[in-house]
Amino acid sequence: MSAESQPLEQTSGSVKAKATVSTLARVGKYTGSRLITLFITVVIGVYLTILIANMGGYVDNIMRGEIREGIAMRLARDENYKNMAPEDRTAYVATLVSQEETRMGLDRPFAVRSVSFLVNALQLKLGRAINMTSDSGSRLVSLIILERLPATLLLMATSNLILFFAAILIALSLSRRYGSFVDKMVVGMSPTSSAPPWFYGIFMILIFAAFLKWLPFGGMIDSPPPAEGLPYALSVLKHMILPVSALILSSIFISIYNWRTFFLIYSSEDYVDMAKAKGLTDKDLERRYILRPTLPTIITSFGLLLIGIWTGAIITETVFQWPGIGRATFRAIGLYDTPVIVGLTIIYAYMLAITVFLLDFIYALVDPRVKVGGSK
Amino acid sequence: MSRKIMIVLGLLVVASMILAACGPAETPAAPTAEPPAPAPTDEPGAPAPTEAPTAAPTEPPFTTTRTGTWVDEVSMSVVTSGSAVTQISAGAIDIYGGNLATPQDLQAIRDAGLNNSEQYGLYYELTFNPSGPVFEGTGKLNPFAVQNVREAMNWLVDRDYLNQEIYGGVAIPKFLPISAGFPDYARYVDLARAVEAKYAYNFDKANEVITTEMEALGAVKNADGKWTYNDELVTVIILIRTDSDGTRVPQGDYVSNQLESIGFTVDRQYKTSSEASPLWVLGNPADGLWHIYTGAWGVSGISRSEGDNFQFFYSPKSAYGFSPLWQAYTLTEEADVVSEALALNDFNTFDERRELFAQAMDLIIPTSYRVWLIDGKGFSPWKPGLAVSYDLAAGIDINPLWSRTLRFVDEAGLPIEGGTVKWGNSDLFVDPPNPIAGSNWTYDSQWQNATGDYAVMGNPFTGNYIPNRIDRAEVTVLEGLPVINTTDWVTLDFAAQIDVPADAWIDWDPAAQVFKTVGEAYPDGLTAKRKSVVYYPSELYDIKWHDGSNMSAADFIMPMIMTFEPGTEGSAIYDESQVGALESFKSSFKGFRIVSTDPLTIEYYSDVWYFDADWNVTGMWPEYGYGNASWHMIAVSNLADAAGELAYSADKADALSSETAPVEWMSYVGGPSLEILSKYLDQAASESLIPYAPTLGAYITADEAAARYANLQAFYADRGHFWVGTGPMILDQVFFVEKTATLVRNPDYPDLADKWLAFSAPKLSEVEIDGAGRVGIGAEATFDVFVSYQGDAYPADEIDNVKYLLFGADGSLIEVGEAELVADGQYVVTLSAETTGKLAAGAAKLEVAVVSKVVSVPSFAAFEFVAE
Repeated sequence: MSAESQPLEQTSGSVKAKATVSTLARVGKYTGSRLITLFITVVIGVYLTILIANMGGYVDNIMRGEIREGIAMRLARDENYKNMAPEDRTAYVATLVSQEETRMGLDRPFAVRSVSFLVNALQLKLGRAINMTSDSGSRLVSLIILERLPATLLLMATSNLILFFAAILIALSLSRRYGSFVDKMVVGMSPTSSAPPWFYGIFMILIFAAFLKWLPFGGMIDSPPPAEGLPYALSVLKHMILPVSALILSSIFISIYNWRTFFLIYSSEDYVDMAKAKGLTDKDLERRYILRPTLPTIITSFGLLLIGIWTGAIITETVFQWPGIGRATFRAIGLYDTPVIVGLTIIYAYMLAITVFLLDFIYALVDPRVKVGGSK
Repeated sequence: MSRKIMIVLGLLVVASMILAACGPAETPAAPTAEPPAPAPTDEPGAPAPTEAPTAAPTEPPFTTTRTGTWVDEVSMSVVTSGSAVTQISAGAIDIYGGNLATPQDLQAIRDAGLNNSEQYGLYYELTFNPSGPVFEGTGKLNPFAVQNVREAMNWLVDRDYLNQEIYGGVAIPKFLPISAGFPDYARYVDLARAVEAKYAYNFDKANEVITTEMEALGAVKNADGKWTYNDELVTVIILIRTDSDGTRVPQGDYVSNQLESIGFTVDRQYKTSSEASPLWVLGNPADGLWHIYTGAWGVSGISRSEGDNFQFFYSPKSAYGFSPLWQAYTLTEEADVVSEALALNDFNTFDERRELFAQAMDLIIPTSYRVWLIDGKGFSPWKPGLAVSYDLAAGIDINPLWSRTLRFVDEAGLPIEGGTVKWGNSDLFVDPPNPIAGSNWTYDSQWQNATGDYAVMGNPFTGNYIPNRIDRAEVTVLEGLPVINTTDWVTLDFAAQIDVPADAWIDWDPAAQVFKTVGEAYPDGLTAKRKSVVYYPSELYDIKWHDGSNMSAADFIMPMIMTFEPGTEGSAIYDESQVGALESFKSSFKGFRIVSTDPLTIEYYSDVWYFDADWNVTGMWPEYGYGNASWHMIAVSNLADAAGELAYSADKADALSSETAPVEWMSYVGGPSLEILSKYLDQAASESLIPYAPTLGAYITADEAAARYANLQAFYADRGHFWVGTGPMILDQVFFVEKTATLVRNPDYPDLADKWLAFSAPKLSEVEIDGAGRVGIGAEATFDVFVSYQGDAYPADEIDNVKYLLFGADGSLIEVGEAELVADGQYVVTLSAETTGKLAAGAAKLEVAVVSKVVSVPSFAAFEFVAE
């Protein structure tokens, strides 16, 4: 028996081994091609950002103009300059212009610089900003970003996580209460999300800061700043209320509406009705029969939310004077500071690529129907 | 029911959105400021020269024994300009240090019942492209190549309309490249008024002149009344700036409308500074990409002399000479000589200067490369119960007086000692602060000038200088230079020749670390056009740095060493980017000499001179251009710079940096710099380092060095930064990311808090004219002129002159003369029979201009009468 069964076991083992090898090969092949595809996407995306941020090289002209204007205005107030011989004046201006153009890299053609920007960015060599400095005075792009990161993470993570989980939980509940008053109210209020968060922010500032004087207009802490520790934390918390509320308020209804519609589709499946007929509780129904099949979508949304957190909210941060990455981005764009813009972009691009890459595997883990590298 | 509720809720939301959309948009602060207008500066390493105070503008209403600042603390934070008034009203901040510029801002301030400063802000103009008359680039007609067309634009724009409609009537119509609030306007008010009369709004005249010139150019009007050239519409491209304070949009639209109303087709291109600059500054005018640009310029302080503005704005020799636009300007040889003479102060008497101004009005203004529109105003609001001095040109935050006069006041207006002021501005800590080549942003200078002190302070109302840390000064200039003295703290002499002593220091040897003397550098001797001798008070060395160290002579010598060191090859802290500035400085610097160390007396020689005696005083101070610093702090930061771990300038930091070894732009107050500076402070302390020992060794002992470094270590341990000044406030706490900082009162500051109370408010005179409403032609007529301030007669000894200008029925200037003093605040204007005989029958106007000695802004009043 054992002698007879051995070949079968061997066959079974070799089939398993072959299947494993096949799976590994499939996953490996998929991983390789996916990584290459994503890398190419990142390269294209970052290079497009460089081109757009520099208006295809036209920003060089703008910067050259600004350099010359700045020098002219400085010299116009220099009595020593006025007393110089005309030829000395010309030479002096030429020297100053040349120094500044060299410092800003304008002595090299944009095409060459754009490739340097790209290559350095891909290696995460973020380099030095052209005009911006970090809040503490550093020109390193990494420091410019890192200094602003905590403030942005605090604001965006708080608001987005509250928004995400609140929206899902409320939506899940509403999907089981289709047509109720609250459901209709959410549907009715969902168009309010067409207004951006800064719009609500201005309203809330007017109401709660200017009129009621309950909350601060903006900033991150009181001035003068409280002592470190709990008073500091409470001050930050107080300053977070309005921007977090604005960010949540601007999206909460549409988020609930989206998720509620999404869950509604699953709620009306036959197997849900069957489970309900079997007498399962609402909680079990939601958890096992609605949430589980929608998990890939929820995870995708959550993953994108996580990487979206770090980009900040440019205008909302500006309205609330919140010292986050959004405001840094705003300033970098205004100053045509390509290294900072590229630095912010490449980090986002890599995070997005990694998230997209990982999601494929996570789908396979949470949904048995999904096969990494499978055709369907 | 629920559906109804939903409808109501929906309507409410929609209504709220509409209401909000109608409100003013939040405007983020612009990252860069308007370029400041040309203003005199002094040699590096020393604050600008100064002038003595004249009569006090207002009497100090209060005395105190408190020293330093009235308030205990100032807490600075960042707020948007758009929310400043609301935030003050809500109590979130007490004062906004920045500039608000629109009439809506002023109205909001008034509606909220706040106080405000009123200072001269931007001034606006139209810049014309003079290329052509046919553009090489497009083959299209450029009417503005013709001087008469450009000049006619003066008549086409109604400046009063602009002022009333866009600036709410608070600005001033502008016709000249000099400011109506500055001394040159007051000096030559008759010349200025004549130009204003000449270029008063006259639409028909503008249309007539332009029509004539257009026809001469070969243009014809089509059936629609539009100008055409070679069968194509003549389209005027106007670049309208949309950024800055936003008022150039309605300005540009108004000018466009006026042009359209006389037959031009207008292409309005709305652009930001960055978008417009490559076209109008860098672009070739002959390319024909624009015709008119809506320009604006700023002022950084009261300018005592604006003669150089003619060259700056109209000549290829301008500092803007790099621009193809300026190169397209052509002045006649005579006009060129006039602009050069005014730019270089190349005249011997003030009568000559006046004549040059008159010639400039005749020869340069009519070229109309620019048509001036408006002298704008700026406003900084603060809450009731607070008071502060402000500069008539620079406003609050640029002038160091803000920290010395900021105070809470009671209902009677008397100062209250103590308290914390919440101060807002648009930004803070923009660039790394260091005194050699650090941040020069206004937002940073506001706290820097509170922590620093100065040998002299700028008079916020006249632009003269007031002694702060010096006793007196002597100025000697070459005979023939038209220098005048209006102060009691400067003595002025003239000399046929000013020899620089052989032992004066004139250059620096970085290897030997000693100054080169004039005797060594110029064995045959050296002369200068100007010499100043500054006598410092005997208690000078009692002044303490914020770390507790007493000031010493070495603190005054170090700035001069640092003037040379970074820009001199062979120096350990050599910085190529500093070479140009040093060479420029050397071109006029003739030496300085420490005559005495205690009390300190310093002689200074230069070829740069000014026609105000006080401006010729070089009051040396441990001020490096970007902040005060002690010799021991400079010694420490020099070590860091020399080691290549930090760099004073952004240029050097960038040049030294590599991907693997970045070098930071030095910051005395934060970031990675602090750790490095701390390391070198410890090193200096361990060695009791005497920097530049071959020179400073004569002024510093090892014990003093050790004590100073120990003080600095203690200060750093306590405050966490290295910004050590001598000013009335100490930088206490800094929160970079949160953009907030606190300044606290310096308890060791020696001056009484009421020292500057005399400058609480500008003593702007009020003028009234009274006289007969009908005047017989050929008969003598008299008019009474009353000059007052807040209801009291304006003292005659504070009045420089009271001029009258008589205008005929056609607006032409008939006569200019001086009113006669009757008593304090009362003058009389007498028009002789001969003068009235020149009047035609009809309405005439008598205008009186009062020029004060204590405020640079002249006051005007007009009286209309009928000549018959």
